[in-house]
Amino acid sequence: MEANKVDMFIMSNAKFFESHQLHIIRDRLVTIDDSKWVMVSTAQFKDPSTSLIISIIGGHFGVDRFVIGDTGLGIAKLLTCGGLGIWTVIDWFMIQGATREKNMQMLQQFLY
Amino acid sequence: MHLFQIKLYRILSIACLAGYIWLYFNLSNFYSKSTSQIGVCLFKRVTSIPCPACGITRSILSILQGNLLQAFYWNPFGYLLLVILFITPIWLVIDAINKKDSLLTFYVAVEKKLQQKLVAIPAIALVLINWFWNIHKDL
Repeated sequence: MEANKVDMFIMSNAKFFESHQLHIIRDRLVTIDDSKWVMVSTAQFKDPSTSLIISIIGGHFGVDRFVIGDTGLGIAKLLTCGGLGIWTVIDWFMIQGATREKNMQMLQQFLY
Repeated sequence: MHLFQIKLYRILSIACLAGYIWLYFNLSNFYSKSTSQIGVCLFKRVTSIPCPACGITRSILSILQGNLLQAFYWNPFGYLLLVILFITPIWLVIDAINKKDSLLTFYVAVEKKLQQKLVAIPAIALVLINWFWNIHKDL
């Protein structure tokens, strides 16, 4: 793919991924076929800041985990009073990283 | 995928261990003085409204004493959680011995199923109904 397209993608989507993953994504995007550009550029990524807000408000019921697509863990959180309240607090700090990980998993479907 | 498996299995084993410690703690407390309850529910502490999962510990304790109807009254999800709590460690050990990922496959399949609208909406409705019942019972 053309380098300027890739750079545009990286610039507008940098906040959705871990910073150490960005150059891997860039290297990979440059090598893949141009036909995948539509899929990659229109993919809907989850915003880490939004999931942090959701985690603070509804983390006790596992809503944050449901939103990023971790349904199983969401149910576990819901049925255990947010992991006896401990998991809720842990997830306030973990959820942004988890969201970025999920975004990376989604992008990987297009990349490989 | 392999990394995800390690992560999931670690979370599951920690959760099960915590669950058993919590149960043991409550069970010993249950026999010594039956009225005292250790309330850890953050939501209930803050708002004094019970959350959808409140009463599950009491429900499981009732099941362990063979009081199935009382368990249903406390919280119907107690049955579900007790089954999960019972099966998961066994499954984890079997997977660890056979070096397979059958639990992970099952987990992913269940997750896929639950994300379908036809399953998700009744499940959400069930949780909400249970929550209103919890508030009504004032657990």
